[in-house]
Amino acid sequence: MNPQVWLAALAGELSRHGIGPDLAGHVVAEAAAHLRDSGEAPLSAFGPPAAYAAAVADSVGGPDLRPPRRVPGAVRLNVRGVTKRYRRRPVLTGVDLTVRAGEIAAVVGANGCGKSTFLRICAGLASPDRGKVYVNGTVGYCPQDSGTCGFLTPEEHFVLIGAGRGMPRTAALRTGRANAAALDWSPVSATQARHLSGGTRQKLNLIMARMGEPDVLLLDEPYQGFDRGTYLDFWHEVWRWRDAGKAIVVVTHLLNQLDRVDIVLDLTSTKERVA
Amino acid sequence: MRVNQERRAQWLRGVLDLCVLAILARGESYGYELAQSLEAAGLGPIQGGTLYPVLLRLQRSGLVTAHWREGVAGPARKYYRLSAAGSETLRLTANDWNAFAGGVGAVLREVAAQ
Repeated sequence: MNPQVWLAALAGELSRHGIGPDLAGHVVAEAAAHLRDSGEAPLSAFGPPAAYAAAVADSVGGPDLRPPRRVPGAVRLNVRGVTKRYRRRPVLTGVDLTVRAGEIAAVVGANGCGKSTFLRICAGLASPDRGKVYVNGTVGYCPQDSGTCGFLTPEEHFVLIGAGRGMPRTAALRTGRANAAALDWSPVSATQARHLSGGTRQKLNLIMARMGEPDVLLLDEPYQGFDRGTYLDFWHEVWRWRDAGKAIVVVTHLLNQLDRVDIVLDLTSTKERVA
Repeated sequence: MRVNQERRAQWLRGVLDLCVLAILARGESYGYELAQSLEAAGLGPIQGGTLYPVLLRLQRSGLVTAHWREGVAGPARKYYRLSAAGSETLRLTANDWNAFAGGVGAVLREVAAQ
């Protein structure tokens, strides 16, 4: 059986065995990588697709019973008619955006169209000339750069920001380290933030934004300087936060993830579209 | 010969997860590379159909973590890494195994000595 046919049959069998599309995608991609690396015939390496799918289902403890599509919850962020000018030049004109618990909104648009300004207004760091922002819950904000203190170590950041969220020192350290591990990073305790690479500083920013599990996450291109693997991990983390009921706004200029978000706000034309 | 192979497969079923953890203790690795390391260690060829379900089980139980990463030249691969819990489990179970294998070895040596 040729590998493509075998892999397609495997995808069908995984679904038949109740494996959700996310895990099934991983299993098929990993089998494809193995077949490519080893040059082995699929039937001798993995056996018949149905038998391998049964072994996979067995090893993950039965079918994935999560509902395929979550029902969005309460409105967490409601932006109405936000307008902002810089020196008479309109940057944002009457922008509306509604994000509910369990939704991801992507803010896209050309450079200089006001994406970061929009996020700063949502975070309450800048005020609009006109319009209103309603937030229902706590907010975490991850800026595009800066936000870290050069002479503090990552763990001092965790403790400092954790204290602002009312977290005890040990809890802040534990949360910070766990969230760092999810981004494939283990902070070295003696390294000050100014000696970290740009990508690692962004991981630190992202972890700080998530301290105390805020209801609304505002992320301004937080993956700059991430390598491809960490970038994929980042999106998997974002989907996990969404499934945990967070309302997430991500500023991005990369369009290849837009099929995985719920709302797209294109500031180039200042139009809100539902994905 | 056939009986021997079946017996080998049975032995392997009992210790493959432990061997995978031990190989990962050397550093992170992906499925095919793990299969090669296991074969080089003398455990014989391990089929993908046997290895990947074991990796999934280890991942689900939190003993290893997994990340997709682009290869230097090739396409993305799923890399596995030993977690703190995995390293603790490995340490404890390796002790148990050594005691068990030592007992088996001692009994079988009596036969070899006759």
